[in-house]
Amino acid sequence: MIELKNLTKKFGSFTAVDGVSLNISSGEFFGFLGPNGAGKTTTIKMMTGLFTPTSGQIIINGFDVVKQPLEAKSTFGYIPDHPYLYDKLTGREFIYYVGGLYKMKKEELKENAERVIDLLELASWVDNKTEDYSQGMRQRVTFAAAFVHNPKTIIIDEPMVGLDPRSARIVKDTLKQKANEGVSIFMSTHILEMVDELCDRIGIINKGKMIFLDSKENLHVHKSKLDGRLESVFLELTKETDNE
Amino acid sequence: MFWKVSLKQDFGTVIRNIGSFVVFGSFAVGAFYFSNFVTAYLLENVRIGLFLFHRFVGMLLFVFFITINLGNMVVSFSTLYRSPEVHFLLASPVSYLNIFTIKFLDNFFYSSGTLFMVGFAVLLGYGVYFNYPWHFYLLMMFGVLVPFMFLAACIAVVVLLLLMKLASKVNFRILIAAIVLFYVGQVYIYFKVTSPINLVQEVMKYYPYVDLYFGSLDPAGAKILPNFWVSEILYFYVSKNFGAVTGYVSLLILATAGVFIFALAIANASFYSTWITSLSLKSMTVKSFRLRTMFFAFGKQSIFSPQTEVLLKKEFWQFVREPSQWVHFVVMMALLVIFLSSVSTLNIKLESPELKAVVYLVVFIFNIFLINSIALRFGFPMMSLEGSAYWSVRSAPISPERMYWIKFGVLVALLGCMSLLIAFLSNIPYLFVRRIAAEESGILAYVTPHFAVKQLAYYSIVITPIVAVTLASMNFGFGSVYSNFVEKNPIRIASSQGATMTFLLSVVYLVILLAVYYFPTLMMFNAEVKNLPIDWSTLRIIFFIITLSSFCIAGVSHVLGVRSLQRDL
Repeated sequence: MIELKNLTKKFGSFTAVDGVSLNISSGEFFGFLGPNGAGKTTTIKMMTGLFTPTSGQIIINGFDVVKQPLEAKSTFGYIPDHPYLYDKLTGREFIYYVGGLYKMKKEELKENAERVIDLLELASWVDNKTEDYSQGMRQRVTFAAAFVHNPKTIIIDEPMVGLDPRSARIVKDTLKQKANEGVSIFMSTHILEMVDELCDRIGIINKGKMIFLDSKENLHVHKSKLDGRLESVFLELTKETDNE
Repeated sequence: MFWKVSLKQDFGTVIRNIGSFVVFGSFAVGAFYFSNFVTAYLLENVRIGLFLFHRFVGMLLFVFFITINLGNMVVSFSTLYRSPEVHFLLASPVSYLNIFTIKFLDNFFYSSGTLFMVGFAVLLGYGVYFNYPWHFYLLMMFGVLVPFMFLAACIAVVVLLLLMKLASKVNFRILIAAIVLFYVGQVYIYFKVTSPINLVQEVMKYYPYVDLYFGSLDPAGAKILPNFWVSEILYFYVSKNFGAVTGYVSLLILATAGVFIFALAIANASFYSTWITSLSLKSMTVKSFRLRTMFFAFGKQSIFSPQTEVLLKKEFWQFVREPSQWVHFVVMMALLVIFLSSVSTLNIKLESPELKAVVYLVVFIFNIFLINSIALRFGFPMMSLEGSAYWSVRSAPISPERMYWIKFGVLVALLGCMSLLIAFLSNIPYLFVRRIAAEESGILAYVTPHFAVKQLAYYSIVITPIVAVTLASMNFGFGSVYSNFVEKNPIRIASSQGATMTFLLSVVYLVILLAVYYFPTLMMFNAEVKNLPIDWSTLRIIFFIITLSSFCIAGVSHVLGVRSLQRDL
């Protein structure tokens, strides 16, 4: 469960995120869209504790991210837009490392690590150092690390960067399965087809403000008014705010 | 527009820049006064004479030369063979020689800027004592100091190129071991041959005519070394033998130019091929010890909590799998062993309490500087080396403060133990009964250290770890304040502006420490030689001041370091 209340982030005089509010319930798959520089990554960084909000509140699974950061963080997994890893560790070691940070017991960690390695098909190269990985391999390791502690919520920033079609399919299926298991997913992406395929609800942010927030069913109503494509709805909405 | 952009800086940046300016400026002024004071003290109070004074300068310059040489070798390895920029340039229409030259010069000037400033301030302090004219400083700066440092860097890069050339045929670990042995041997042989204690005893036989030239006491091997040439330049300048000065300056410049041309020739022939060789060294780690199966393996159970365990294991693997880290560490440790083995068997036959105090403090401060070098080189970059992967910690349920203290714990455990060992070994001559003069008289004589000197040794053994913890705190704390998660090269992090500022601050602390510690040291040697009484209350007050100020400095460093962790990533 994720709750954002009037969330704002300012960098000097520039307002990157401006009073964003939303609720995401358990098992819901939320798609977060917006043009470049709209405030998607800033919102996610505030949710994951990498940025401190200027004002507003973020509650994840009942815990305030600012006031109870450790409790909140123990309930979610995060996949950043750039899958940076420690170059000198292997993929398996990185998964163990993240599991350790989430205070997992060794036996449970070993079991879960093997499971996510199988799930994401990492076994053939997971024991090489990550400095030798391609972008896609790194991305898959961050997914594995985010899944290893069985989070109640998953926060993803641009999940498909560098993934080949097979890896992309694996990731999509895994995310769907997680949502079906009751995990709430907050996903920021530029890939509209993916949003259309996976998400229950969609939010569009532009210039820091939430300009659209509705269910997929209602979005179809908007789509039918145009040419039936999500892309047209997106362009139309962001164009309107541009004109403002 | 230019002014608009230039002046558009936030308040924090302005304060930081003013702070840097104040620290750098104060340090330069401090270095000037310190150099001036030490020159005056040694020549007027201790009266060691011009010849010995300049030979000591020469010995310091030898250590300085080796330090620049090794530093440049490790930095050049990272910059020439590990940098993504070189990777990019090699794919562009730029000649290999140009790439090499640009990166080499960039390296040299990047890492030597502060040293030039400090060198100039020291020269100024020295020159003012002798009332030298302005052209002395011009000559010394551009005719001596710059060529001297550049020569050290050129030799470093020649050795590196040859090493990389050999790496295609010989196991790289064997080469590293050979080079470590070579440098350690070099330092050992230098101090064995030049034998500073013997030199002092020989020159002092001619007291009070100690300003004369005792060139016949110089071993032949030492005369081919650049530090000897600089020592001669300075001595002959005082003696107004300008013919000799011109000769040695020309020799230094010609040697530097020759080695630079030689380095370019080797680079032209083999930089690209050695770069290709370096790709196969990428995965070089300490595998031979089968560390994977030991307790450092992530899959193994541990006595620590899961968070502490994984942070410690990550630190360990990041260190042993990065050649520029462990190779540098091994070289520093080897030099340390050499130094300690020499110092622990020191047999000083000096009569003057002032000279005894100076010798004692030189060893004491050398120990502290060594610890500071290790703290700066390995402690300062620790937080920055989290790199771009730091998101994994910040988004995990662990407080940044906890991570901070765990990482600091690693550093302080290492430096604490090391400092205790160093302090103990270097104080052995002042703690235990020594056998002396057997080779002269054929009769075994034993000397029991004086009670006062023993007390001084105990104080030093306690103070050294306190200072080590303070230096670790300063370097680690300020390393967090100035953390740079983009730079991957630990050596560049350790020579960044923030690191230089930290180093200068730590030197200010050490100079004050030295000044304060001089009084009990002299008091104890006065008690030993002249049987003067010991003022125990002064001693306790000094000990208290050192301890309290050290803890305050450490505390402030940690407050700033921990606070810096709260900033947006």
